[in-house]
Formats: sequence, C-alpha cells, structure tokens
Amino acid sequence: MKTYHLTVSTPDGNVFSGQCTELLVKGTEGELVVMAGHIPFVTSLVPSRCTLWLEDGTEKAATVDGGVLTVGKDSVTLIAGSFKFTEE
Amino acid sequence: MAGNTKALRSRIKSVTSTLQLTKAMELVASSKIRRANEGMQKGREYARALESTVSLLRGDGDCLKSPYMQKRETGRTRIVIIAGDRGLAGGYNANVFRLAKEFPEAEFIPVGKRACERFGKEINSSERFSFADALALSGTLCRDFAEGEFDRLGIIWTKYVSVMTQEATVTWLLPFEKNESGTKSLVTFEPDCLTVLNNITREYVAGMMTVLARESFASEVAARRMAMDSAGKNARQMIDDLQLEYNRARQGAITQEITEIVAGSGE
Repeated sequence: MKTYHLTVSTPDGNVFSGQCTELLVKGTEGELVVMAGHIPFVTSLVPSRCTLWLEDGTEKAATVDGGVLTVGKDSVTLIAGSFKFTEE
Repeated sequence: MAGNTKALRSRIKSVTSTLQLTKAMELVASSKIRRANEGMQKGREYARALESTVSLLRGDGDCLKSPYMQKRETGRTRIVIIAGDRGLAGGYNANVFRLAKEFPEAEFIPVGKRACERFGKEINSSERFSFADALALSGTLCRDFAEGEFDRLGIIWTKYVSVMTQEATVTWLLPFEKNESGTKSLVTFEPDCLTVLNNITREYVAGMMTVLARESFASEVAARRMAMDSAGKNARQMIDDLQLEYNRARQGAITQEITEIVAGSGE
C-alpha cells in the first residue's frame, strides 16, 4: 500500500513524524480518511478520537483536541493543541 | 591599624558570600538551560508548521473577508509582554521594558512575574506558561479583536540568538498580512477557507504565544547564566584585591610593632 509522510505537531514538539498509509480524523464536516495521493486539502478538526495506520499495518489510536489538518502534495501535517496516543 | 584590617576582613567575608550566591544561581540557570532549549526547539517545529498552514490560508482571496484580516487605521494596540519571573538576569527584563516604552499608547497584557508587577495585573509565571493558559488568553483576545475592541495585537518577547546574545523583539500577530507572493492556491478548503481561518486563529495566537514564551524563557536562563558568570568573575577579582590590601595592612602593623619594640629596647 502506498504511504505518505505524516507530521503531527503540537506545542510540545512533533509527537509523530513518519510514514503511514491511512489517517482517520473527524473534521468539522464529518469523519474523513486521508490516503496517499489525496488532493491538497485543508480542514479544521473537532476534538475527537483519531486512528492512523502505519506502514507495517499497525493501528494506532489517539485523541486530538481539535486543530487543523493540512494535506499537501506529498506530506500531511496535523496541527493540534494536544495529540495523545491512547494505549490499547 | 587593627580597625582597618577588621573592616577589610568583614568586606572579604561579605564578597565571599555574594560569590557563593552568584555561583549557586549560575548552576541553577545552567541546569535549566538544557530543558529550556529543548522546549524552544520543539516550539519552533510547531511554529513552523503553524506558520506554513496560516500562510496558505492568507494567500486565499476568500479569507480577506475574515475579521482577522481587517486592517483598521485607528491603531488601538494590545501587546502581550513576556518578561521573566525573577531578576538578576542581566539586561533581560530591562530590554523588554525598554522596547515596551516605544508603544506608549498600547495596552499591555503581562506574562511573567516581573511584567505583572510592572503592569499591575494578577501574578502569573512565564516559566510555567502553558498552552492551556495561552488558549484561555487568546480566546478573549481573538473575540475582542473580531468585535473591533482593538486593532492590532503584538507580542514582545526575547529572541534567543545564541548563548551570548538575546534580543528583545516585537512581533505582530493580528491582523494577518495578506500573502501576496502565493499564486492562487489549488488547495481545497473544507467547509471553506474563511471558516477554517476563523477556527484556527485562536489556536494560532495561543500557539505563537506559547512558543515565544518558551523561547523567551530560554533567553532568560541564558542571560542569567551570563550575568552570574561575570558577577562571579568580578567577585573573585574583588576578593583578590581586598586580600592583597588586607595582607599589606597586616604586614604593616607587624612591621610597626617591631619597630616600636626595637626603638623601646634601644636605650
């Protein structure tokens, strides 16, 4: 599966930076999944759970307190006040 | 003579205790430097990401309608001023306040105990200024700005140039400058550019405040370390000089006493 580079940036630094295949978040208009090759796109997020799938297929859940998601040509940036991975 | 040596001895003692104090403060500052620098580096990463997203939004024509992009001419200014919690950091706090004097008509929102004392608001700490504090503050600021209570939001902070140099700087956060360079972006906004910009502004202002407060704190500890280092050097120099003077006075007194004894027994 094709991957893209995701950076999750919070005031405490980049909490995640690496390759992933899919990212599920909740935008103001509803849930959405970002995959590789998505068109350039910007949306604001609402406080919610989100999930991301890494290159090797592992699934990671996290909570995000809002913020904004920017999908660029070859990289995706999620900016939030806090982004915490939840332990399974 | 005896009185003189006694005075010298007590001066040496007092300078020695000053030296201990400066040494202790230097050590405290040194131990904080690493943590402060880490915070600053992380903050810079976040600021870069925030900046690049906001510049994307500023480039879009629809966003000109946003209240946060309205340039008003009346020039009522609010400035968030970040100073230290403590003194004895060389010119750190003084430089910040000197820069603040350049905006006599502005309303100041202080962060840090020194700034709070000066501008008479309830005390808050700049060392422990968190994103949550910033978010609460920026909520009020953004609302007031959108309602036209004031026309320009700035922030006075101290830029960390190197361990030796720190610079008090003013940065304007609101209103956003229009991004002229960017050609019409091909980016899709959901629901639309204006909403996204309005949503992100509060977070942007809070984020920038947190990041700049962290950088200022890094500057503060670096400034304090330098100040304490040179104060320690001066104290050591002073002790050396006083010690020399004391030894001379002591030697002089002994010589005089011997002369007196010799003169007395000469008969």
